[in-house]
Amino acid sequence: MALACHMYIYLPIAEVSMHIGVIIGLGGGVGFLSGLFGVGGGFLMTPLLIFFGIPPAVAVATEANQIVASSVSGVLAHMRRGNVDFKMGGILMLGGVIGSSLGVVLFSFLRSIGQIDLVIQLSYVVFLGIIGFLMLTESLRTIMRSRKPGAVRGKLHQHNWLHGLPFKMRFRRSKLYISALLPLLIGAFVGVLAAIMGVGGGFIMVPAMIYLLGMPTSVVVGTSLFQIIFVTANVTLLQSVQTQTVDFLLAGLLLLGAVIGAQFGSRASAILRGEQLRGLLALMVLGVCFKIGYDLVIQPEDLLSVEFLK
Amino acid sequence: MIRALIMITGLLSLFATSVQAAPTRVVADLSEQQVGITSSYHGTELLLFGAVEGIPGDDVIIVVTGPETRMAQRRKDKVAGIWVNVETNIWENAPSFYHVYTTRLIDQIADFETLTASGIGTASLDLKVAPAPKRNDGDRNAAPAEPLDAAAMTGTLIRNLQNMGLWKIHHAGIKILGDRLFRATLQLPKNVPPGDYKIRVVHFRDGIAIGQETTDMVIKKAGLSALIYKFAHEYSLFYGLFAIAFAVGSGWLAAVAFRR
Repeated sequence: MALACHMYIYLPIAEVSMHIGVIIGLGGGVGFLSGLFGVGGGFLMTPLLIFFGIPPAVAVATEANQIVASSVSGVLAHMRRGNVDFKMGGILMLGGVIGSSLGVVLFSFLRSIGQIDLVIQLSYVVFLGIIGFLMLTESLRTIMRSRKPGAVRGKLHQHNWLHGLPFKMRFRRSKLYISALLPLLIGAFVGVLAAIMGVGGGFIMVPAMIYLLGMPTSVVVGTSLFQIIFVTANVTLLQSVQTQTVDFLLAGLLLLGAVIGAQFGSRASAILRGEQLRGLLALMVLGVCFKIGYDLVIQPEDLLSVEFLK
Repeated sequence: MIRALIMITGLLSLFATSVQAAPTRVVADLSEQQVGITSSYHGTELLLFGAVEGIPGDDVIIVVTGPETRMAQRRKDKVAGIWVNVETNIWENAPSFYHVYTTRLIDQIADFETLTASGIGTASLDLKVAPAPKRNDGDRNAAPAEPLDAAAMTGTLIRNLQNMGLWKIHHAGIKILGDRLFRATLQLPKNVPPGDYKIRVVHFRDGIAIGQETTDMVIKKAGLSALIYKFAHEYSLFYGLFAIAFAVGSGWLAAVAFRR
């Protein structure tokens, strides 16, 4: 009886009572979209959790825990097809673990001075804005080009000063001979963002791999997922030890919804074409960016707010 | 409910033999002394009942006080077009929960000074506030805010906590039966802070407090939610490793189960 008429669940770490249907629905909805677009969905889930009243620190740490599961699930399919560059993934992972460790420290500091919400919001606006804009223009260009036959495709990647850095290394699977510093720095940068924004960082990592490293698109997603597992596991562990903000119950319930949603999403993705999917994803990314940006600009109902300190 | 009735009958017979003396005697009991926040917790209600040596026209006020907590109160201001926290005040000892129940509108029971002197109302709390040590948060150019006086600052804290449902007055939230028995349904919201609570029952006659009784209540996490909380705080390394292992395991399971 208690379960049937009383579907709320008290989350022990978030210390918030939430309807169980809302949690599983969120997991399912975001899981569907992540299956549809082939993205992790952290950039949607973390803002949604905060919107539903989960404290930002708990939302970020718990979402990291959930992304571990969705990345493991995703990487297995790519491994079977041999689409993971483990050497490149290892270097990115090394950078990612360093970066995300820094990110967790930065997160705690910003939280202690009351500025974490602002930094989370600003990071979302800036990075979702840039990525969304780039994806939208790229997919529009592709859609236009496909209607105009005979157009010439540009060179895949150009050599620039980045490729002149020392510690050159050969990455066979990616057919690259580049400085190891480059993936190390990219991994570290995305790691910091992952720890602060509660995302895996695939939406930044994937374009960085294609445009900055020049990796072939076939290995990009698998390699990105591979390193995200370790970055988000690192965030989960550090946040568990330092701030105790990983809500295991919340992560588990989100996961349950996400696993089911992702299956429907990946089936639905067969209906749409690649550039259409990317265009839709770009619109969604920009939508989240505008919503968060709007919240920063409009005057809050009450300029004063109270937070309990432990 | 049956327990409550038995209790009330017991109290009645007690009063039949009691001798009038000053201060008056107040007895009160709670339907539950321990409230467990389990996984299905979504706010709850408690029955507080008891008796006073009352005559027609008497009043009762109940004050439910939660554990004192350090709170950060932050003020936002517009900086470069966006709303940013620019100032923090730390409240050292404000109760995390403060609900008052009365038999009628509180200002009809006694005047403000009497209530405050009797320790009723937020004005009676000895709140300590300290501005947080200044940090370089990039706001050095902003004009310092007009310093508020203590009463105005307390007013803003009351407003914030009222909006969170944690501080509240339930006017006429107590029923008096036959001038002697009283009963109130105490509401614990879904965001109730766990900890040790004090419940004070004060008997008023002609605007003066003439008797009182205090009883304790504990609100704490129970069942699965207590287990997870304890695990996370006392064995945080293992908790983190367990959370990762669970995520890896379920991710792998999902991939195998839905493999096409």
